[in-house]
Amino acid sequence: MRKRKLLFALFFYTVSTAIVAFWLIPFIITVFTSTKGLDEIMTSREIWRPPLAMETSAFRTAWVEGHMRTYFRNTFLIATPSVLGCMFVASLSAFALAFYRFRFSRAVLMLFVGGMLIPFQMLLIPVYRLSTHFGLYNTLAGVILFHVGFQIGFCTFFLRNFMVTIPYSLFESARMDGASHLAIYRKIVLPLSLPAMAALAILEFTWIWNDYLWGLVLLQSDHLKTVTLGLANMQGQYVTQYNVMAAGSLLAAAIPIGVFLIFNRFFIEGLTVGAVKG
Amino acid sequence: MARVVLDNISKVYPGEVHAVRNVSLEIEDQEFVVLVGPSGCGKSTTLRMIAGLEEITSGSIYIGDRPVNDVPPKDRDIAMVFQNYALYPHMSVYKNLAFGLKLRRYPKAEIERRVQTAAQILGIQDLLDRKPKALSGGQRQRVAVGRAIVRQPKAFLFDEPLSNLDAKMRVQMRTEISKLHTHLASTMIYVTHDQVEAMTMGDRIVVMRDGSIQQVADPLTLYHNPANLFVAGFIGSPPMNFFRGRIVSDRGRLFFDEGTFRLRLDGEQARMLKAHGKPDVYFGIRPEDLEDRLYLPDADPMLTIPAIVEVIEPMGSEIYLYLSTGLHSFVARVGVQVMTRVNEKLDMIVDLTKAHFFDAETERQIV
Repeated sequence: MRKRKLLFALFFYTVSTAIVAFWLIPFIITVFTSTKGLDEIMTSREIWRPPLAMETSAFRTAWVEGHMRTYFRNTFLIATPSVLGCMFVASLSAFALAFYRFRFSRAVLMLFVGGMLIPFQMLLIPVYRLSTHFGLYNTLAGVILFHVGFQIGFCTFFLRNFMVTIPYSLFESARMDGASHLAIYRKIVLPLSLPAMAALAILEFTWIWNDYLWGLVLLQSDHLKTVTLGLANMQGQYVTQYNVMAAGSLLAAAIPIGVFLIFNRFFIEGLTVGAVKG
Repeated sequence: MARVVLDNISKVYPGEVHAVRNVSLEIEDQEFVVLVGPSGCGKSTTLRMIAGLEEITSGSIYIGDRPVNDVPPKDRDIAMVFQNYALYPHMSVYKNLAFGLKLRRYPKAEIERRVQTAAQILGIQDLLDRKPKALSGGQRQRVAVGRAIVRQPKAFLFDEPLSNLDAKMRVQMRTEISKLHTHLASTMIYVTHDQVEAMTMGDRIVVMRDGSIQQVADPLTLYHNPANLFVAGFIGSPPMNFFRGRIVSDRGRLFFDEGTFRLRLDGEQARMLKAHGKPDVYFGIRPEDLEDRLYLPDADPMLTIPAIVEVIEPMGSEIYLYLSTGLHSFVARVGVQVMTRVNEKLDMIVDLTKAHFFDAETERQIV
């Protein structure tokens, strides 16, 4: 029995390690490329080899000349309010859908869920036209609004499913204690939903940070562009500077990775907390 | 403190589901009333309508002479203790107790005073800084009661508050809630499916079934004078024995005829049954009103039920005998001196003064 267990563990870890290694190959190549000089990249085809001479100037070039600094700022200015706005609106709608019975509540929930299923490619042109119509085209506010709008469906669904695991008697007890609807939301439901909201916020932040499509559709001016758009820009301007592009990609990826590493405890708790609640 | 009046209230859920039918009840100030019945009898719905958590389909509810049909729960000045305690898990015990007062903007000193007083009454002073998850079931129950006490409400509502506790804790909390009632001298309405809880705690008991009230009475009246077959069978443990049979007349005397035995009826009982007119009846007798003939040698032989012993349950201080006449099974509660064996024939003497007769059709008590 023990031998079988051991064999299984050996197999499990070998396969897992192989998968992780395979998964990391592009990342490692990017790290290598970003620290190589342009000469080395051009003269050698062996992209998986560590650099012969370490160079970090590509990061600087990407940050300053590649305008990554501006793109970072823009992306923060978009992602942060988008996530906050989305959390706020979705938690309110989830609260209503989880705790109140009203006419068409089920239909509203279905609408939120159904909205998630529409392929976004279908929406590119309507969204673009809508944004020009309302004067939101080529503004950060426009991108924020659309992000909030598009994410509400999923966030509401996610939070509502969490909130229905909160015992209904807490809601009733608070009502008898004299809490208004808003007080129940603020003092009971919101604090209890924090783990789920933290997980969702991390997920949303990552998605919005990595968004390419809506930025591409809604932004035109270079000084408003986001990180992902900026990276794509580099391909045009610095077509030969692979090391700068790799450095830029790493910088762009650093934020979501950092967010995840710092908050991953909340993230994992948030994803599982609903499951084990009595 | 206040009296609570239910005036002909009903609750109908969509799909014509009648959860509560025309319930009328007057609960006096400082009274402890227990609503009891099997699950689905409408007792919890009735309580929730008093609390304001459930809308009333028809009828009126008055708390302290004020109609409250359209008053939201928070303004009814009542407190409720929930079955699953409903403590706020992210708040300390202190904050749980203070929550309702804070929302009502009581001054800090007053909140402190009330929380400390409640904690003292319930013996939870040491737990005030703990979170609910760090408490045992009994402690949580105390906190839930404390949350009701601090509000100093006009009436307390309890919705099966002890059903999540183990048997020992339940007995302990039962006496504590009874003591609390004496101490606070306030109106309490208590819902339970456990007839022992009902019998031991209530000043008056309301027995419900299928959404309507079967009988309202004090525990002993309910036990000794049940209004119908359902109440008779619901109150008491082990429950009352029922024998379906006919009232027959033989040479001027009245008998209850079960099929395998006959009991001779006399006096008032006979007169009432005769006046009732309908022969089909249920004869009901409690397990303790049956005795082994051996120990009642002078008993009237016309009051005997011959039976076969099926199961013997020695309880220590008494014995439960599960017997069968061939047509009906029944239980007798006899003294430890009774010696018998399974499958033995036993003659059981009926104390007919304690017997009940119910109309077989309406199930109402005749006598």
